[in-house]
Formats: sequence, structure tokens, C-alpha cells
Amino acid sequence: MQIYDVVIIGAGPAGLAAAIQCRENNLDVVVLDEFPRAGGRLLGQLHQEPNGQWWNGIEESKALLERAESLETDIQLGVSVHHIEKLDDQFVIHTKKKYFHTRNVLIATGAAESPAPIPGWTLPGVMSIGAAQVMTNVHRVKVGEKGIIVGVNVLSAAIARELQLAGIELHSMALPTRNVVVDEQSDPRLVMDRLSRIAHLAPSKFIQLGSKFAKYKFVQSLALKYYPTNGIKMWGMPIYLNKAIKQINGTDKVESVTMVDVTINGDIVENSEKEIPVDFVCIAGGLYPLAELAAVVGCPFIYSEELGGHIPIHNETMETPVKGIYVAGNITGIESSKVAREQGKVAGLAIAHKELNSIDIEEKLQAAVRNVVATRDAASIQFHPGISEGRKKVSTAFQETMKTQKELELVR
Amino acid sequence: MTNRIVDHPVLGKLEERQKVQFEFDGKTYEGYENDTIASALLAHGIRTLRKHEESGNPRGIYCNIGHCFECRVTVNGETNVRACLTPIKANMIVESGQVQPHPLNPSQEGDIPKTYAEYLEQEGRG
Amino acid sequence: MSAKNYEVAVIGGGIVGCSVAFYLAESGLDVILIEKNDIASGTSSRCDGNVSIVDKDPGFDSHMSWVSQELIEDLSKRLDRPFEYRKSGSILVCDNDDEMQAAVDWVKTQNEAGLKFNVLDRNDIKSESPFFADDIPGGLECETDSLINPYMFCYALVDKAESEYGLQVKTRAEVTNITKEGREFKIQTTNEDVRAQKIVNAAGVWAPFIGKMLDVDIPITPRKGHILVGSRQQPVMMRNVMEFGYLMNKFGRERIADKRTTEHGVALVLEPTESQNFLLGSSRQFVGYDPTIDIRVVETMARRALRFFPKMNDFKIIRAYTGFRPFTEDHLPIISEVKEVPGFYIAAGHEGDGISLATGTAKLMEEIINEKTETIIPKEPLSFDRFKKSEVYA
Ligand SMILES: Cc1cc2nc3c(=O)[nH]c(=O)nc-3n(C[C@H](O)[C@H](O)[C@H](O)COP(=O)(O)OP(=O)(O)OC[C@H]3O[C@@H](n4cnc5c(N)ncnc54)[C@H](O)[C@@H]3O)c2cc1C
Ligand SMILES: Cc1cc2nc3c(=O)[nH]c(=O)nc-3n(C[C@H](O)[C@H](O)[C@H](O)COP(=O)(O)OP(=O)(O)OC[C@H]3O[C@@H](n4cnc5c(N)ncnc54)[C@H](O)[C@@H]3O)c2cc1C
Ligand code: FES
Repeated sequence: MQIYDVVIIGAGPAGLAAAIQCRENNLDVVVLDEFPRAGGRLLGQLHQEPNGQWWNGIEESKALLERAESLETDIQLGVSVHHIEKLDDQFVIHTKKKYFHTRNVLIATGAAESPAPIPGWTLPGVMSIGAAQVMTNVHRVKVGEKGIIVGVNVLSAAIARELQLAGIELHSMALPTRNVVVDEQSDPRLVMDRLSRIAHLAPSKFIQLGSKFAKYKFVQSLALKYYPTNGIKMWGMPIYLNKAIKQINGTDKVESVTMVDVTINGDIVENSEKEIPVDFVCIAGGLYPLAELAAVVGCPFIYSEELGGHIPIHNETMETPVKGIYVAGNITGIESSKVAREQGKVAGLAIAHKELNSIDIEEKLQAAVRNVVATRDAASIQFHPGISEGRKKVSTAFQETMKTQKELELVR
Repeated sequence: MTNRIVDHPVLGKLEERQKVQFEFDGKTYEGYENDTIASALLAHGIRTLRKHEESGNPRGIYCNIGHCFECRVTVNGETNVRACLTPIKANMIVESGQVQPHPLNPSQEGDIPKTYAEYLEQEGRG
Repeated sequence: MSAKNYEVAVIGGGIVGCSVAFYLAESGLDVILIEKNDIASGTSSRCDGNVSIVDKDPGFDSHMSWVSQELIEDLSKRLDRPFEYRKSGSILVCDNDDEMQAAVDWVKTQNEAGLKFNVLDRNDIKSESPFFADDIPGGLECETDSLINPYMFCYALVDKAESEYGLQVKTRAEVTNITKEGREFKIQTTNEDVRAQKIVNAAGVWAPFIGKMLDVDIPITPRKGHILVGSRQQPVMMRNVMEFGYLMNKFGRERIADKRTTEHGVALVLEPTESQNFLLGSSRQFVGYDPTIDIRVVETMARRALRFFPKMNDFKIIRAYTGFRPFTEDHLPIISEVKEVPGFYIAAGHEGDGISLATGTAKLMEEIINEKTETIIPKEPLSFDRFKKSEVYA
């Protein structure tokens, strides 16, 4: 039976970057991913950086994959991992087809989109914003002729632009009307606040505009109060913080949406209903770390709103308190793919260092850790304004967990 | 196949790919190598991948990356396969999910069957 | 702290606590139910829903089940919220001819006790489900067994008792300490303190921790069980089935099975739910309070299911969960006052029978607290004192 040095779960930027580091140090590695192509969510990404250059996810993925392949990395696609079993000195990765025995595991499963239910959302033609991104940029299939985007955030603004580039018509972007699940996405003040605090780095004209009037809370309120009835336009498409989608209509597929006006508090203005014909709807509920596998193998968690949800506790070299289990990429908090890639490098080097214990690797590891911070600071897409605070919380939690672990060992 | 994005201002022209034929609910469709079941069907304008087991409401993809299981179909006899993660293969047989019987539903008429034989009888299949 | 002084505080909002609170409130007492999380958040939502006699030892055990079945049938008519009550009977299937012989004897004994049991032959098994293996020699049926959805039942009880009998319910209130002040208990919780004259400890597998607060040692230990949930698909069968070996596991008797099946205490239970999922169980292990799903146990259970349902290989399992059965040494619950601490009562320790026995338990507890001379079932076999005796004589 083969025992791997490391099994990497997820072939996104984090997983691939880690695999490259491990292979450069000659470790026995296998990368597993359930998606039929390597690259993870990086594949679908396409945005213009502030310097005008395009960030082309397909190309970036290809570069990572080619490097990994030149190092003869074993990458197995179409393989879903459903369990990690912890034995005394190794782990067993359970997939549908077979078991993989390994000394170390890197969990780099990325993020998932929070569902944002609104009436009619199960109709064919309603999809998450990320679904539309993948269909458009990866599969190159149009999601429809004319659609609307429900939910205004960095990701939906970026993907709206991508849909437009592919020649798909968008009526507008608007908020969902309030319900218990979409409470935060439906509050114009919260949405405005979030957008404005990350505006200086946004790739979109709209959000940059927001930053001008939105540095202070009272200015934001004013801005909302005097929000143009026809929305603020981004590349010709209106973005409404004063209109919301109440329901999606159709019998066998999407035929239209019902749009209403909302007040600055997100309350529906009476008799303002309008029906808008569309054949698809994208719902943007935000991202959260996809961390079940870390939970299954016993990693402790901490909740961080700034990082997007429940985060497996880890230190700056991506180790968790469960010896041999590492995490990298969006499972550690929602950030751009560049940060994920740098985190992957760190994790790969940390695993190599654990297995080989060389000074050379240690130095590279320290440099890679610094690089994560530098990349974060320079990121052109930031999902939450408070990422650095979130990171601090996680590392404090790691120290505390290790301290308690030690104390418990002493007691025993 | 009108729904393909053939020319893209940044990503460029869609590359030539191998054609692949597969079957969905008894009809033959053509897609390309690397298409998933979901993308190949959407290229033909097909959004409905199954009917809800209970209500019969139509369902299609939601997340398109394997997380939500909304796109589950039967592939070569295997149930609950995610159409958004499964590449099409030549001669693959894909079937949409259908409404399932609900023999223990208390709101239906008559006694709730105790055995499978009784259930078949009630269905008129005994 | 609320100045109010309740007549009875029931600790634990599982099926036992909810049933006890229901009958006590109905009898006119001023009752509060205290639960650390939500109603039915403990074992009573991590189990099956069998209200069965089929797996009970003939005698007191099966009599108590029968009494409980009558009560639950009555409640199915009286409670306002439906709780998926289905009186379909249930069956046991045998693995081999030896078990079949034992099953025939079992039916005879149960019939002699006046219970409605029948022997099933090969053909009967086939008409139960087309998915059964061809080589199953037969089994038996208990006609009166029924199925409920345990957590819906808990909510149905609480709802009715709150709206009609004045029951107070306090959730998200973990009891952290209890002190006796004169004839009254002061119960500290994480959500305000409560005062009551009497306490019923219905904290299931956590009952020993409540006991400790009053220096009472309660001999209940957690016996972990796994369950798999099948995806909604074509119907498998219409009523609950267990394998005969289940009885052997439950009572810790010798059984012919492979090593892993024995080690994990696995025996087939398949419950078709009203919504057409099926629950596939189960395992029995003493491994403390660790709720983690053990994939090896899951595999053993799946393998065991294939013995009886070979075609299940193609079925999809969507998730798994675990629960803790409150185990006592003699397989009977404790439904009793605690003589050393007047006013302190225990209703816990139902192991794998809490769903079946909750109503009988609750009725008896109500009768004990209201000091009735006649009780629905004899209370001696369930008394807390029985453990002390065995200590003395051991
Ligand atoms: C729908 C979506 C769209 C996004 N769009 C953008 C964008 O436009 N711009 C941007 O900057 N960021 C975007 N992000 C954020 C994105 O998560 C990061 O940019 C980056 O891709 C994270 O890299 P990663 O390696 O951590 O994870 P990912 O790139 O998500 O890769 C994780 C991989 O793990 C695989 N996986 C997960 N679970 C399992 C399992 N159990 N078994 C096997 N394989 C598994 C997945 O198939 C996936 O390929 C998006 C995220 C999502 C979810
Ligand atoms: C896998 C499995 C399958 C089973 N199948 C069946 C079956 O088919 N038929 C059957 O009859 N039985 C079955 N059982 C057994 C049955 O589930 C239990 O006997 C029953 O649920 C026990 O109920 P309870 O109310 O005593 O305990 P619980 O439901 O655990 O209730 C105790 C409550 O006390 C609360 N609590 C604990 N500590 C405190 C505190 N300090 N303060 C406040 N509240 C507290 C807990 O949160 C909990 O809600 C099964 C059990 C398992 C594990
Ligand atoms: S669409 Fe979500 S899993 Fe396929």
C-alpha cells in the first residue's frame, strides 16, 4: 500500500501552488479535485486590474497546471473526497473510487456561495452568480438572452461585467427584498457601507464612484436618499440600491421578475411593483469557506465575519492544531485568488519543511509568509474590509488552542 | 447550437473541439469534449434537469460547481449524479429525475399500505 | 430570577421530558420544562421512531411497551399537531435457520402473553419488499407496533401543554447547579434561575450530571448509535424492519456474526419515513460522549444492510448522524423518586426504547408525583433503589 507524503484536496490556485512546492522538493503528492478541470474557481475569473491589464483565470490556471505537470504531479480530477479519517500516524482520504493513505493532508477546498432564497428561486433559469461565471467563461455557454442580478457586492459587480463582455444583456443589478435569510444583502445601508469601504480597490467604476461620497456614514445615508431613480450606471447597466426583486415568476422556467422600490431602510414602497421580462436570474448571496472536511477530521473552528464564516483555526504557516492537517486558500477566509495562490505556496513549503526539515526550505517558507501579507495588501479585489483583523483573530485562536493542548498533555 | 459564446473580446475565439453525442431522456444531443452534462444541455436551451421528487416542480442548475445537488440526474443507471460536474461521454445515457411515489403520504385517500404487496395493489399493479 | 415557585420543574426537553411535562401539566400541576438547547435537541432527534414491542423481552418490558402504545395512539387523536403516527406493525427478519427457530419460539412466548405476534415465511418476506435477499428464511411480525416522528411528537406535546395546560417552557437554559433550600429547590440555569418544589430529572444520557448536583449517583452510560439517511427514491418497503440479531445486540447476548459486525454492535434496522427517505441503522458502542461519525461503523452498517437488501448497492445515502442511548445495566429505565433527596425524581435511562416507552414513563411519573395508589404499570422494577440492592448483594 502506498503512503503519500501529502494528499492535496482541491486543485484551485491554493492546491496547485502547494503541489508545485511539494513536487519541487520531491514529495509524493496526489492532488484530488471533483471538478473535471484543474484550476478551481480561478478558471472563471476575468477582470481588469486598475492598471488596465486583464486578470485571465483560464491563462493563470494553465500556467499553474503546466508548472505542476512539468514536475510530474499526479492530479486526479472528477474525484470527490467525502471523508478524512484520522489514524494514529496517518490519514485515510475516502473517495468514491478508492482510499488514499497519507502522512499529511492539505485541505484547499475553496469557497461556496451562500444561498439567498427568494420566492421563485427554484425555477430553471435561476442560478448563483458564480454558476453564471463558470458557464460563461469556462464552458462558454450563454446562460440566457437577458437577465437580472439580485444582490449587489464585489463579486456580482465583477461577474456582471464578465457577462456583458460575453454579449449577454443585463437589465440591472438590484437588491433582494428582505427576508430572514437575506437580511444583510437586502439592507441598502449595509450594502452601501461594504461597497464603499473597499471602493478604492474595486475594478468597477461604480464602486469607485461610491467611494467619493461614502467615506462617512451620514454621507452614505445622504447618498442613498438622493440615489438616482434610474440607478447608477456601470458600463451602461443600472445598479439599484433603491429597488429590490420581490419574486421570480414563470411556470416551467424564468419568465420575469417582480421589482419594487425600497426605502433607505430596505422597506418596500407600496404599489411600486413592476414586472420585468427576463429569461435568467443570478443570485449573489456572498461567499463562505467550504470547510466541512476540516470539521470532519476534528479541526477546531472560529467564527469570523470578516473572513466570511466559520474558519478552521490555523497559524501563519497554514498548520491546524490537528498535526498533519494543513489548510490554504479560501477555506481560511474569502480573499482573491492571488492571496489563495500565495497561501498555497506557504502550505506546500510548510509540509516540505515538516517532512525534510531543511534550513533552505525554512527560509523560503518565511519569505512566502511575508509574501502572503504583501499580496493581500496589494490585492485589487477584497471581499471584506476587515480581512486583516479577521486574520489576527484566527492566529490568536491558534496560539490559545495550542496552549490548551499543551496544558492538557501536561495534565495527562 | 446558438448558445455558444464563440467569439469573446478577451478570451478569444472558441477553440475547435471534438464533438460528442449523448442521450438525454431518449433524445440524442451533440456537445463538445470538456462539456459537462449541464453545459451541453444548456447550449441546446435545455434548463430543466429533473422534476422535484415530491412536488414535480422543474429544477435546473443552481451553483454549477458541485455544491448544491440541484442538478442531480441519472447517468447510465446511476442516480444522483451531478450534471454540472460530469463531463459528457460518447453514448452516455442521461435521464432526468422524476416524481417519486409517495405511498405513506397521510393526506391521500385510503389506508396507508403496510406491505409492498399492498402498495402495489393500491397502485393497481398488484 | 423569577419570583415564581413552580410545583414541578422537568429538566430535559427530550421525548421523556416533554411527555412527563405534558401529563403533569394536564393533571393540573404548575410545571416548567427546562432545556439546555432546543426541544428535542438531544437523543430524541438522533434516533429512529419505532414505538415497538417486537424488540422487547416478554414480560414486564413488553407489557410496559404495550401500555405506552395505547397511550401514544390516544395522543395521536388528541394532539393538534400531527406527528407522522402510523400504526403499521413492524417485522423482524432472520439471517439463518437457527434464528428462524428462535423466532418461532419468540412468537409463541409473546402470544402466550397476549400480544399480537405472527410468524412470517419466505413468501411473506417477499411481499414485504421486493428488495429483500432471496435466502432470508423468514421472520416475524408484531401487529400493534407503530412509527412516529419523535421530534414532531415532542413539539406536539409541548404545544398542546403550553396552550391548554399552562406549561411553561424555558429553552436555551442549561441547568448548571441545584441547591435545596428548605423544601424548595433553587435551579441555576444559563438563562435565569428557577425555583420549584419538585424536580424531574429527564436529561437522558446527561441525567448523571444533574444527579451529581445533588450528590446522587445515577448509573446511566452513553451507548452510541449511528444512523444513515437514504435519499428520497422509489419506495423500499412500507414499515419498519429489524433483524433478529438486533435483539441479541441490545441485550448483549451471544450472536453469530462477523467480527466487525459484533465489535460495532451492528444490526439492521430500516425505517421508511413518511417523506420516503429511509433511515438505516444501527450500531451500539460504549465510546463515551464523542458524537463523531465513525466511517468504519458506517461501512459495517452498509455491509450489514446488503446482507438483507443486496439491491441496496445502488441506493444513495445522503448523510449520517449519531445519538447516545441512555444505557442502564438491567436494560430498564429509572422512573422513580430518590429517597435520599425528597422531591427529586428521575425519569431516564431508556437505552434504545425511549421513543417506545416515553408515554408509559410519563404517565407513571405523573402518578408517582401525584401520589396515586394505583399505577398504570408496577413501579418497583423501575425504582432507583434497585441499583443499591444489587450493590449490597453483589
Ligand atoms: C463561484 C465563485 C466565484 C468566484 N469568483 C471570483 C472572482 O471572480 N474573483 C476573485 O478574485 N475571486 C473569486 N472567487 C473567490 C475564489 O474562491 C478565490 O479567488 C480562489 O479561487 C480561491 O482559491 P482556492 O484554491 O482556495 O479554492 P478554489 O479555487 O475554489 O478551488 C477549490 C477546489 O477544490 C475542489 N473541491 C472542493 N471540495 C472538494 C471535495 N470534497 N473533493 C474534491 N474536490 C473538492 C473544487 O472543485 C475546486 O476546484 C470566487 C469563488 C466562487 C466560489
Ligand atoms: C440510533 C438510535 C436509534 C434509536 N431508535 C429508537 C427507536 O426506534 N425506538 C425507541 O423507542 N427508541 C430509540 N432510541 C432510543 C431513544 O432515542 C432514547 O431512548 C430517547 O430519545 C431518550 O429520550 P430522553 O428524553 O431520555 O433523552 P434526550 O432526548 O437526550 O433528552 C434529554 C434532554 O436533556 C437536555 N439536557 C441535558 N443536560 C441538561 C442540562 N444541564 N440542563 C438542561 N437540559 C439538559 C438535553 O439537551 C436533551 O434535550 C434510539 C436511540 C438511538 C441513539
Ligand atoms: S448545480 Fe449545484 S451541484 Fe450541480
